[in-house]
Amino acid sequence: MNFLLLYLLLTKATLASFSGLTSLPMVRHDLVEHYQVLTDRQLNAAVAAGRTAPGPNGLYVVSVGYFVDGVPGACAGLLATITPAFLIIPMLQYLGRRADRPPVKSAIRAVTLAAAGLVVTTTIPLARDALTGALPIAIAAGSFLFLVLTKRATIWVIAASALAGLGGAWLH
Amino acid sequence: MEQLSLYRLFLLYMRLASVTFGGGNPTMAAMHTEMVARRKWLTSEKYSVCYALARITPGTNMLAFCAGTAWELLGWPGAVAGVLAASVPAGIVVALLTQGYDAVRANPLAMAAVAGTLAAAVGMMGTAAWELLRPYLDRRRWLHASVISGASLLLSLRFDMPPIEVLALAAVAGLVWRIPE
Repeated sequence: MNFLLLYLLLTKATLASFSGLTSLPMVRHDLVEHYQVLTDRQLNAAVAAGRTAPGPNGLYVVSVGYFVDGVPGACAGLLATITPAFLIIPMLQYLGRRADRPPVKSAIRAVTLAAAGLVVTTTIPLARDALTGALPIAIAAGSFLFLVLTKRATIWVIAASALAGLGGAWLH
Repeated sequence: MEQLSLYRLFLLYMRLASVTFGGGNPTMAAMHTEMVARRKWLTSEKYSVCYALARITPGTNMLAFCAGTAWELLGWPGAVAGVLAASVPAGIVVALLTQGYDAVRANPLAMAAVAGTLAAAVGMMGTAAWELLRPYLDRRRWLHASVISGASLLLSLRFDMPPIEVLALAAVAGLVWRIPE
């Protein structure tokens, strides 16, 4: 499969989705069923690789591209993941021209408060997966307190939690 | 406070996206801590607008969020730098992981380190929620904060309402029920 066609198919899938893995049905339809350049097993491995790696889950598309066409395919997947992100800018430009009006300011404050609720909602499934014992719970609570109380860089939290995870595995 | 520059923005986005596990949400939460609470590059309101608009932008929410916040800070060069920093290094990790996926999954030490950072991601997301709420917990606005954030939590958790609809409903609530400065 050539680079341009792969890029266009993957961009079509990412444009039709509104979060990381919702492009999956379209990717499967195009690449597994229609063009048959990817197997279901490879698609599952791509999703797993995307979820295991750091960064957004949507980067599984890079792994899909890699399975289809090696490094050029991975580049096509990366470009397809990046392209739709810039659509936010015209929306910000439109809103920015109206942001000083009191009703718009109030609406933005309400969205901020709703976002806080949504962040809690998205934390719950992650917490269910990640907080499986005393050590992960202690890491989560320690991270929260450290960041709220000290305002230090998150990299310290990430490094310390990885070490704590390793320490826990070593003790077991 | 660290001065804003294209180079510093690139480094920060790359660092956060490349070491934060658990999907885009923990990365966005970490960005609140780094850009709003620590460096004060961005106001909480602008962060929230980008968060909300990223939800209605097709594709990967976190990359749209990076494009939006970086554009707010440094225009188009910032947006391009922010998106590349948040996607290219992490994309390379995904490609490498695709090559050696079975070996990584079978390595208990690697998976233990990932499990530790996933637990930290829960704490980081809790911090972001707290930092978004905290400015509104004063005498004039605590009721708005409790009702709107509580309703958002209830609608998304109990009634499975999609985030786009929750945020749209909140915007309407803010238009009707004015939240003071």
